[in-house]
Amino acid sequence: MTAIKAGGPKSKEERAAEKERQRLLKYYSASQWTLIWWRFRRHRAAMVAAAILGVMALLGIFAEFVAPYGPTTRDTNYLDGPPQIPMFCDDNGCSWSPFIHGVKTERDPVTLRAISVPDPEQRLYVTFLPQGEEVTVLGLFTTKTHLFGLEEGGKLHLWGTDSLGRDVFSRTIYATRTSLSIGVLGVMISFVLALMIGGIAGYSGGLVDAGIQRITEIIRVIPVIPLYMGLAAAMPKEWSTTQVYFAMTIILGLFGWPTLARRIRSQLLSIRNEDYVVAARLAGAKPKRIIAQHMLPSFTSFIIVDLVISFPYMILSETALSFVGLGLRPPAVSWGVLLQQAQSVRVIEQTPWLFIPAAFVVIAVLAFTVIGDGLRDAADPYSEAR
Amino acid sequence: MLRFTIKRLIGMAVTMFFVSLMVFLIMELPPGDYADRYAFRKYSGTGVNVTQADIQAIRADLGLDKPLIFRYFDWIGNIVLRGDFGQAFAFETSVVKVIGDKVWLTLAILGVTLIITYAVSIPIGIYAAVKRGSAADYGLTIFSYLGLALPNFLLALILLYFANLWLGADVGGLFSPEYQRAPWSFGKFLNLLGHLWLPAFVLAWSAVAYQLQTVRATMSDELNKLSVTAARARGVPEGKLLVKYPARLAINPVVSTIGFDVNRIFSELPIVAAVLGLTELGELLLKAYLDLDMYVAGAILLLLTFVIVFMNFVSDILLAWLDPRIKLGG
Amino acid sequence: MDAILTVENLTISFRTDEGTITPIQNVSFQVGRGKTLGLVGESGSGKSVSTKALMRLLPGTAMIAPDSRMAYRAKDGRTIEIEKLARNGKAVRRLRGGEIGMIFQEPMASFSPVYTIGNQMVEAIRLHRGLGRRQARAEAIDMLAKVGISSPEARIDQYAHEMSGGMRQRAMIALALSAGPALLIADEPTTALDVTIQAQVLELMGGLQQDLGMAMIFITHDLGVIAQIADEVAVMYLGTIVERGPTKEIIRDPKHPYTQGLLEAIPSLESLDHRLKPVPGDIPSPGERPSGCPFRSRCGQAIEGLCDKEVPLETTFGAARAVRCWLHEERGRSAA
Repeated sequence: MTAIKAGGPKSKEERAAEKERQRLLKYYSASQWTLIWWRFRRHRAAMVAAAILGVMALLGIFAEFVAPYGPTTRDTNYLDGPPQIPMFCDDNGCSWSPFIHGVKTERDPVTLRAISVPDPEQRLYVTFLPQGEEVTVLGLFTTKTHLFGLEEGGKLHLWGTDSLGRDVFSRTIYATRTSLSIGVLGVMISFVLALMIGGIAGYSGGLVDAGIQRITEIIRVIPVIPLYMGLAAAMPKEWSTTQVYFAMTIILGLFGWPTLARRIRSQLLSIRNEDYVVAARLAGAKPKRIIAQHMLPSFTSFIIVDLVISFPYMILSETALSFVGLGLRPPAVSWGVLLQQAQSVRVIEQTPWLFIPAAFVVIAVLAFTVIGDGLRDAADPYSEAR
Repeated sequence: MLRFTIKRLIGMAVTMFFVSLMVFLIMELPPGDYADRYAFRKYSGTGVNVTQADIQAIRADLGLDKPLIFRYFDWIGNIVLRGDFGQAFAFETSVVKVIGDKVWLTLAILGVTLIITYAVSIPIGIYAAVKRGSAADYGLTIFSYLGLALPNFLLALILLYFANLWLGADVGGLFSPEYQRAPWSFGKFLNLLGHLWLPAFVLAWSAVAYQLQTVRATMSDELNKLSVTAARARGVPEGKLLVKYPARLAINPVVSTIGFDVNRIFSELPIVAAVLGLTELGELLLKAYLDLDMYVAGAILLLLTFVIVFMNFVSDILLAWLDPRIKLGG
Repeated sequence: MDAILTVENLTISFRTDEGTITPIQNVSFQVGRGKTLGLVGESGSGKSVSTKALMRLLPGTAMIAPDSRMAYRAKDGRTIEIEKLARNGKAVRRLRGGEIGMIFQEPMASFSPVYTIGNQMVEAIRLHRGLGRRQARAEAIDMLAKVGISSPEARIDQYAHEMSGGMRQRAMIALALSAGPALLIADEPTTALDVTIQAQVLELMGGLQQDLGMAMIFITHDLGVIAQIADEVAVMYLGTIVERGPTKEIIRDPKHPYTQGLLEAIPSLESLDHRLKPVPGDIPSPGERPSGCPFRSRCGQAIEGLCDKEVPLETTFGAARAVRCWLHEERGRSAA
């Protein structure tokens, strides 16, 4: 026993030293991407933002299952109805499972219009995995089961309804899918364009480069949203929702490339003359190896950062265009389309819940910006990850 | 300096030529042409049966049956030589008449917005860099994030709501109703100023958020420069030191991005104008797009871009004047 | 000695994320009026930090230990206790430039790129000598001529980037001298220059010093340069002065193993057929200071059980020389 006691602290110290050595060994031998991931993980705000975006993406992907109703399903008994927040207690006592009050129709004493008011005498309990409209999830499974709903076929409008009695919660969830996917497709299109255009300019240099630079400059000088609007205005009125959707991604992608293309071009041009690339060339490395081993790794991380921070522009542009009626058109739902209903101050006063989709826009844009910043810090090889 | 200026002016003309090509393509993009839309608009609901021959006649009358390249030169030639931007069918008059003094209103909004942007972002950005890591610095960073994330139309609505609540109904638009159609007078001018602050604030919001970051970043860099330490080692008082050495250089990137700021402001203008009910070019552009009144839209797009290109030119000249390292020959 | 500056027990620590580090420990030296002190050491030895402390130019995270003393004899005869002055206060501002001038390794970066040389000189002259704009300009032109810049009337309106490297360094010297300091701190002023220009600048500085009767602290890592310009030398290693004394004596008879190592590392014409002998190893970072003697991790003569346990005391030889090494102490010699 005494021997262990005497040896205890020392071996503990040794173990700590050994652990530290192992950690440093791992650190020094880690690949670039592992290092970036380690540094990113330490960026708490970026991790939170990534989690939030992950949840949003999941909500969008499983929209049919998460949303209790379809995006255009109308509840004519509950027009312009305020959010129904599940509660556990009311004047008649408490219950273990959450419930909402039923709705009854009364006449407004002043305008004599029919309005929906809560009926405190009637309790409707919230249930999980109830049966409802038949939907196809992920385009694969057909199911009648939804994430949550109300017992006895009642209708739960978590975030209220619009003037046609459509459920704001369900519409927002469906809109999340549209808006995020437009962002993804738009970024992908502009990425491919940027890679080609910037790559050609950076490799060939000379006249080709000068010409491409000129075009880039011209696209950058025209105000973006008015330019998008001009293209969107040209979409024929008789196009289907799907056609408009894809046209929008192409429009957004078509003019998103200049910034990124410039980045790729200037990186290529400057790296070409970096000492380590020249050294590799002098050492007899083949061009393919130089590009793959020395040039690409040095700026792929920057490209990824640029891609992430270009998402907010895509999302905000789509929202802005749809908001003024030049983007997606009803019956399609996107954040911008939903916000079309919230164009006046009167909405703030009377049906403020129609602004809930705006919160999604703000959160998504913030999340992408924070992740972009986190990635930028993480991709900087001179910042410490220890 | 003269050679430099002339060189930039030529560059500006070349850019505008390509821009006009692009704008013309956008004008040609919507299905059908001016004659179709004109005929549809003029005779729909009147019971007159319009035949293809009638439309063809209108087309020939307006020179629209010529090939694309001729039509482009007709269009741009009229603009450059006669200041004639074509016909606006929604208003049955010339584009120039429709646009009218809206150009000056738009420039007034732009001017006030730019003044607010720089008056706010430069001093506060410098302050944040000097007080780096303080609570105020973090607060400003959070503001910048929010400034970039909040869609401008939403901000406009929120501000409009509170302005209505606190200041009464007379805040939207650019003029009070009594001045709307009145001729220009000092009273009308004051009324305009009273209405300008709201759109200018909304438009400046994201520009401030963006420039704040730029100023803060360059100022932080500049503060660590040896020239600042050297000046301090010569006994220059701290306040004067900050202004003369790092701050003087921290505004260079701001000056070099004036064009981008104008671009961003014009980009947001149509939507903010729609929400706030501003009667200027942005709102007119949006209306023209929705009506497919492409001569009006093209004219406005061209004008807005011209202002941006011109401001780029101004920023180049300013920068060359501010920074002696820029070689005037180049 | 008639000292213009006396530094005693200077200890400086920095608060960092990893805790407090102390890059300067118990540094003491004197600069005689009109004399030159050479401060020698590798990068990271604390040369620049200690001289920045003299101008109170260290950032807010730096703490000067309470028993440190920096006494400066001003031009009017009063003694200024630098460690007691308020950071960026009025007294410090009068000290900076007007009493103690400073020149740096990179003249290009020391000038602001957006003002002319003259603008910055006139600013310094007006701050410290109370002259009018026109007089100050005349003074500045005079000073540019003194540092050997041809056609100073034209050069004064040039920017730093319009000058050659050697010319820029001369302008930098003129800028520092124009405020009329009695002590000049030169922080590796010749390191970035070609050897021939380096010699010119050294010659110029020596001449100016004699003309103006100015004291100087000359920081360098090059003992060869020190031999040309300094009256006294202080050799720094990891934030302490390991050996100090008159230049000639130290070069002829270095006592500290580190000084010996530095001298052996200088190439000379006689030893061309030998390989150079660099001091082995690298200077440790201030956070990883060895226990006992800071140099023991690179010292070939370290005494086990003594050098790794106790910090060596300062041993004096005559009035002017001192060394911090156990090899020259009674206890060390008996242990060895």
